[in-house]
Formats: sequence, structure tokens, C-alpha cells
Amino acid sequence: MDLKIGKRRVDGVTIVSCQGRIMFGDEANALRDFLKQTLAETPRMVLNLAGVTYIDSGGLGTLVGVYSSARGGGADIKLTGLGQRLRDVLQITKLATVFEVFDSEQEALTALGRGAA
Amino acid sequence: MGAGQRHMAFQPITGPVSSPGSGIFPTLVFVQGNDQRTINLDHTPFTVGRKVDKDLVIADPRVSRDHALITSEDGQFCVVDQGSKHGTFVNGERVQRKTLERNDRVEFGVRDVSYVIFHPHHASSNTAREFLSQISGIQISTDTTDLEKLTLFLEAARKLNTTGVLDEILVTLLDATLKLTRAERGYVFMRDEENNLRLAAGRNSKGEPLLDDTTISHSILDEGVKSNSEFVITDTSQSLDLAGRHSIVAYDLRTVICIPLRKPQVQATRDAQAAVPTESSPEVMGALYVDSRFASRDISSVSNDILRAIATEAASLIENARLVQAEEAARRYQQELSIAASIQQGLMAVSIPEVPFARMKGKNLSCKEIGGDFFDAVNTEEGLAVVLADVSGKGVSAALLANTLQGMIYSQLTAGMPLIDIVVAANRFFTHKHIGEKYATLIIARIRRDGELEYVNCGHVPPLLVCNKEVIRPPHGNLPVGLLADATYESDHVSLHPGDRLILVTDGVTEAENARGDFFEDSRLEAVAAKSATLEDIFAAVANFCGGTPLSDDCTVVELVYSG
Repeated sequence: MDLKIGKRRVDGVTIVSCQGRIMFGDEANALRDFLKQTLAETPRMVLNLAGVTYIDSGGLGTLVGVYSSARGGGADIKLTGLGQRLRDVLQITKLATVFEVFDSEQEALTALGRGAA
Repeated sequence: MGAGQRHMAFQPITGPVSSPGSGIFPTLVFVQGNDQRTINLDHTPFTVGRKVDKDLVIADPRVSRDHALITSEDGQFCVVDQGSKHGTFVNGERVQRKTLERNDRVEFGVRDVSYVIFHPHHASSNTAREFLSQISGIQISTDTTDLEKLTLFLEAARKLNTTGVLDEILVTLLDATLKLTRAERGYVFMRDEENNLRLAAGRNSKGEPLLDDTTISHSILDEGVKSNSEFVITDTSQSLDLAGRHSIVAYDLRTVICIPLRKPQVQATRDAQAAVPTESSPEVMGALYVDSRFASRDISSVSNDILRAIATEAASLIENARLVQAEEAARRYQQELSIAASIQQGLMAVSIPEVPFARMKGKNLSCKEIGGDFFDAVNTEEGLAVVLADVSGKGVSAALLANTLQGMIYSQLTAGMPLIDIVVAANRFFTHKHIGEKYATLIIARIRRDGELEYVNCGHVPPLLVCNKEVIRPPHGNLPVGLLADATYESDHVSLHPGDRLILVTDGVTEAENARGDFFEDSRLEAVAAKSATLEDIFAAVANFCGGTPLSDDCTVVELVYSG
């Protein structure tokens, strides 16, 4: 597997960082399981994708799947650390309008704080 | 150790690999008319009759309700008639009781229509066991230590793993263990899917097969499996708390050794943070159990080194054998993939309609893995329509979903539906059927005789419009189909002039990689599209860019030229 996932807690928010490729198969499955488990513990999450070098169509599908089911379940995920390539993909697929994307972890955390207040 | 210096020439064994049925148990081949099935004789008495609770039920009025039994005594199998009305026959001769030999034909009441052929265990030649006994006779000198002998055995067995099946390995393991421990009899139990221990093989010191019986101390077996030790030796003469244990008292078991077979630990190098928490102790796959009744066969003094070696070696041996079986499963999976490949070839075999005002061409280069690309072309009153789609993911599921999507879109295009309605329906289909995280990016374009082009891009690589050597990438786009149930879609319109070209590609083209990990990118695609008039040139440019790096995704390019 070509993906490392780590997490830390800041003010009741879980920050999940990914490093490597998010590909259909092992990586996407590992990411889905990790995110679901983490969301069950804390419903507010910042997903930092700064270390992600590539995401394929299956990986993107997983991301959207987790994102929309989290939203449906009342959880809140903000994205940050998107590389140019991922921004392009989100632009082409118009998914930029679906995800909430922030330029930095701090901005994402601030947005989550506002949401909770 | 000495074993390392010994040079043993292992001949590759190319004989027939025994089928899963040819395990340690004798088998009955039950023939009824044109049907034939193999029954494992894994317990005795084995009952035959018309009653439904029989081990072998023969629904024929000539078969008595309790017709016959097959029993075992001293390793021999015997058929016993139960006073049946129409009799039991062995090789055509009516019998009351008869010891069965290999290939004996047994008939119960019904003659000729249905019968049973008896096969004692291990009919196959060239088995791992025979081979091992050969090498043990030749190669092992008397001054070899027991541990070295075991190592030799196991080394040989491991090499034979590639040809043998799990059952063979288990029997080899038992024989080796019995030889080393001098125990009277031995059994291997393996966990089944429900986590229950089931007998996988049984042998006595004479090398005869044994079936499960009540004299095995299951309490010691369970204890051994639950314990954290490498092995559990129970010497009943020294233990006072064994009085309540039925089999020990009833059968005067003197010494019992139980060796849990634990799954060999693979190095766990996953990221500590990401790793799913694992159980603290390795998974117990089963247990090796040996016991003795007689003082002369006292096994309590067996060297601990030997037991420890058996414990670790046996487990890895079994695991290896299982891996071989998993490979077999993988081979079958490959066959399924070839089915998916043929589905996909069907998707790509598109007959392109000929129209006076436009020309269309499509080309696809498949990567090794099966993907979910497809394209299609339909000519209707509304114009010539082209579809290019890429279902996310790979393999059979992607190919099947692509197939379904193609059918949906084809039928709706044929019916002359508006393009927006078609993608809305496809999106509804994907999201309402809960196909998981599967979705598709696609483009549907339809060109009319007058050059009016309407197209809907759903998350797909933007098309290339080549007008007079100038490449335009329209920014229009929508969400892919299948991701969000409430997505809305819009189409775009362009007026084409004679000679204008529309080029559609899948992301396998723009994301084709070279050895350095660079992508082909839009820029290279646009450059070649501006220069050249043919699809072949685009594929040549991709191939040239990739060098020898194999494609990781399917590449599909469709070109539509408006001729006016």
C-alpha cells in the first residue's frame, strides 16, 4: 500500500493527514475505514491532503462517498492542502462546488469553530 | 546446522496434482444413472438406506429403509448388510458382511442403476509422502539427530508444497511427528469457518489413517489451543486433576501432547498510526495432537527443542500450503478477469454509423487491468451522437457497470431523448441503486446536419475542439454521474464549420505516465491534436512519451470530424 494516514486532535477536531497515493483498491479502502472510524469518534474533521501525490478516479469516489455520507450523518469535513493537480481534478469534475476547501489547516479549523458556535 | 550442507537434488514432480477430494479419507464414488459424486468416508459407521437421515440416501423402493452400514476395524473398511430385503452386493455377489478392497463395486438393493465404488485413501502416486519416505531412506544416516531429520523432512515437504495439497502436507507432518515423538497416534485439527476445530488428518504409528473418535481428549485439545504456550504436555500419571476427564479415564491415555499451530507472523510494517489494532497473540489455525496409552511408548520425555521446532515449522508449512491453495483461487480469479475482458471488448466493439455530414473514429488501448471505459455511437433523427465514458474503479464490477450504463444511454439516445435527461437518468440510476462509491465520468455529444453541436460533460476530461489548427478547451462541465443524487446538469452548444474536429479522450490519455512519473498532460495532447489529423498520431505521441512504461489505465480517443 502506498498511503500513510495519520491523525491528531486539536480543540475537539481531528486533523487527518494523508501521504502518498489514493488509488482505487487498498488505499481507498484503508482511507474509507480510517475516516469512518475517526468520524465515529469525533464528527468534526479537517482532512489535510498536502502529502497526496496522486488520486485516481476510484480514490476520488471514495472521498466523495465518505464526504457525503458524513454530511448526511451530521458530521463536518473540511479539506485543506490540495495540490494543483487535485484542484484541477475537482475543477474538471465540478466537485470543487461540493467539498469545502480551505487554503490552510488554520482556516479550516476556524471555519469548523464558527460552525460549532 | 548439518542440513544446510547436505546437497539434496529435488526432482521437480510433474505428476498429476491430486484433486481436493483425494485427501486423507477413503472415498465412495456414488454413481446414479449419469450422475456421479464423491463422498468422503470421514466417519464410521457410515449409514446407507432410504431413510432421509442416512449418510447416503438412495431414494428407490428397492432400497430398504435401513439398508447397510460401512464400518471400520483396524484400518479396514467393511460393508455390513442390515437385513435388507433386496440385499447388498459387492462386485455382483450378495454379501452379509465383506471387507472392502480398492475399486470394489457395492450395490444396495438396486442392481446396475446405482452403485458405489470404494477408494481407500491415497490412490495417487508421486505423493509428497512417498517422496519423503524415499529420501528419508536414502539420505538420512543413523547418526542424524532427530531435529535434523525433522528439518530435512520439512525442508523437503516445503519444496514439494508447490505440487502437493494441504492434506498431503498434514499427513507428512503427522508421520514425521509420530516418528520423532514415538507417540502412538497423531491428529491434526484445523479451524473451519465457524472457528470450530475439525479433524483434518489422523495417523497411527504404523502409518494407517485414523478417523475422529471419542478417545481423543478434547479437553486437552481445547486447553492447548487456548494456551499461550508453544506446546502442552500432559502426563496423566503425574496429574491429579484429570480424574474427571472422560477419555483419559476411559481409554487410559498416558501422555498427550498438544501443539497449537499459530499463523506465522508476517512483519507488520504498516504505519503505526494507520494500522488497525491487531490481536496480541497470533491467530491459532489449528492444533497438532499426539497421544500414547502405553508406558512403553512414553512420550513425556520428548525433547522440548523438537516440540518447539515442530510447532513453528508445522505452522509455516501449513500456511505455505494454504498459500498454494490461495494461488489456485487467484488463478480462477484470473479466469473471471478474462470474462470481464470479453465484456469490455464487447463494449468497445462499436459499429460506427455512416452519415454524410460527419466522420467518426474511435480507438482504445487497454491496459492490463480491466477498466470501465466505453464509447458508443448512435445515429438518430436528432443527429449523430457519440458517448465516451469512464466508470471509476477496475475489474469485473467496473466492466459490468460500464455495460449497464452503455445500454441505458444507447436506448435513450435511440429514443431521441434530450441529452440532459439522459445524464439525469443515469445519475439517478447510479445513486438510487446504491452502487457504492462507483461513478462515471462521461461526455455525450450530438451533432446535427447543420453543424450544431450539443454536448454534456459530466466530470470528464474537457473535449478538444480543433478549429483550423487552433485547439479550444471549453470550460463547460458538470458533476460526474453517480456521486450526488441531487446533482443538476447543463449542456453546452457550439456551431461547427466544415473541417472542425471534436476530440474526446479518457483520463488514461492525459494521465499516461513515463518512467519519471510525469503525466502526458493536456498540453502535450493539445499540441499533437493541433498538428495532426489522425488518432494514430495521438496514440503514437502517447507511446513515444511513455517509453516502455506500461499503461496504468485504459486510453480511449474518439474523434468526430464535421464535413458539412
